[in-house]
Amino acid sequence: MNAELRFRPFLSLTRREIKRFLKVIVQTIVAPLINSSLYLLIFGVSLGRNIDLQSGQNYLVFLLPGLIMMGCLNNSFANTSSSIVGSKFAGELEDYKVVTLNPWQILLALSTGGVMRGLMVAFLTLLVGEGFIYYEVGHFVMPENPFTLLYFLFVGGLCFASLGVSVAFWAKNFDQMSAVGSFVILPLIYLGGVFYSIDTLPPFWRSVSEFNPILYFINGVRYGFIGESDVPILTATILSLVMLSVFFSISFFVLKKTNFKRW
Amino acid sequence: MSSNLPLEVVDLTKMYGSFKAVDAVSFEIKSGEIFGLLGPNGAGKTSIISTIVTLEEPTKGEVKVFGNNVRKSKHSKFELGFVPQEIINHGFFSVEEILQFHSGYYGVKNNQKRIEYLLNKLGLFEHKDKKVKQLSGGMKRRLLIAKALVHKPRLLLLDEPTAGVDIELRESLWSFVTELREEEGLSILLTTHYLEEAEQLCDRIGFLSRGQLIKTGPTEELIEGHTSRFMSIILKPGTAVQCSHEFFIEQKDDVLTFKLPYQYPVGELLASTSLKLEQIQDIKIREGSLDDVFRQVVGGGAL
Repeated sequence: MNAELRFRPFLSLTRREIKRFLKVIVQTIVAPLINSSLYLLIFGVSLGRNIDLQSGQNYLVFLLPGLIMMGCLNNSFANTSSSIVGSKFAGELEDYKVVTLNPWQILLALSTGGVMRGLMVAFLTLLVGEGFIYYEVGHFVMPENPFTLLYFLFVGGLCFASLGVSVAFWAKNFDQMSAVGSFVILPLIYLGGVFYSIDTLPPFWRSVSEFNPILYFINGVRYGFIGESDVPILTATILSLVMLSVFFSISFFVLKKTNFKRW
Repeated sequence: MSSNLPLEVVDLTKMYGSFKAVDAVSFEIKSGEIFGLLGPNGAGKTSIISTIVTLEEPTKGEVKVFGNNVRKSKHSKFELGFVPQEIINHGFFSVEEILQFHSGYYGVKNNQKRIEYLLNKLGLFEHKDKKVKQLSGGMKRRLLIAKALVHKPRLLLLDEPTAGVDIELRESLWSFVTELREEEGLSILLTTHYLEEAEQLCDRIGFLSRGQLIKTGPTEELIEGHTSRFMSIILKPGTAVQCSHEFFIEQKDDVLTFKLPYQYPVGELLASTSLKLEQIQDIKIREGSLDDVFRQVVGGGAL
């Protein structure tokens, strides 16, 4: 089989995934952006004026990378999971099984679509956040380590996009799907240091927080933006790669084992 | 060993828990042939097709497409076009976009010419910018057929493709499929509820009942082997005739009924009854149909 035949099915599904979320851009990009903007306004501008960080950093500047990463992770997960659940309902998922796409191509294409949405939300949150920062501080804040920022956004987004793939393929109904989102993903993100530094927590809770994988992604992005992190950046980098392999392996296994039948 | 047969189903069994949906079914489709798989609801038709397209794993047995095991060789997927029984809704995408994506899934690039050919042939061209939900039931079915043909497969699987499609559309659809068979050498596996349609189209028929393939054969042979040809001679009023021909079965008023072998010449029968032409008002011949074969082979179950 030539490279063309290997690459084109992947490319076609990736294009479909990107077109899908762009067709409902208000739901998929604008709504999350408004969400992030409200967080910036309430926590960053309003409440943040009364928060003094140990590092002396402006709270809005501290908050922005957390919100950028939260938007990226949430939307990468939401994109793959809603696309698959929608396809399960429509019967379109059966097409993926019947055509020449293999599980790796499906997983990579869906995850690429997911991470593209995540990155788009992240980038727009950054732009809006910079506007707030300019208003509050009087100048823009340039990312300290742009490549580190991009790396963690991309790897984190991929991890959550592939997590969305495995959860949506595994779920037998909407309840199971939303239970994972509400009881696992959301608490992990909120407790992963988006709004606070884990240094402010008592030692016990700090140790507990260190088991939260999302902490490392959020701090990776924060390091990329302001050069500060609650965890060593090397540890975060290594763990992000480990998580990427684990999440992709689980998704691949689920894709191999599950059926593609409609709900 | 590689074979050129478009489809070989060998000893296929499919269990759902303890329920045997398909029970040791074997059949093959020859090149350019239309094979009809007929049977009542729940006979196992869709389970067999789902196994061929790898949506289901066989419990036992194997399926080969042009000599390649469908579970082991990806190549077989390029040869297969599949029209499912249920409509697929593609959400936000237009008819044309759906066909473009589908071409890509098969690794086909720059497929616009083929897409436009199919859209034209299936009467969808003016609807190419519509979403699936904006199409009528018949159009949705035709879109499924266009999707199945977008990569020029050599074997087409049609799972009740004309359900809910009006007669005119059904006929145009079949003339298109027959055209493709002649032009592109397409072989076809068809399941349908319309026995008349199967009788007209299928070169061979397989009857399924409770997961078992209970009879296969060329359509004409099945009809001739399982049904009879009845000839009724309607006499002019007041004609008194006593008939004692070997094929004669009954006389009701002025109507004489004969049961003839299929190849038996009607003229010979007329000559041997010693009836005079001026005594005959009318002659009616009723040949057996696939419907009769179905009732006899499968029983009275609803199709």
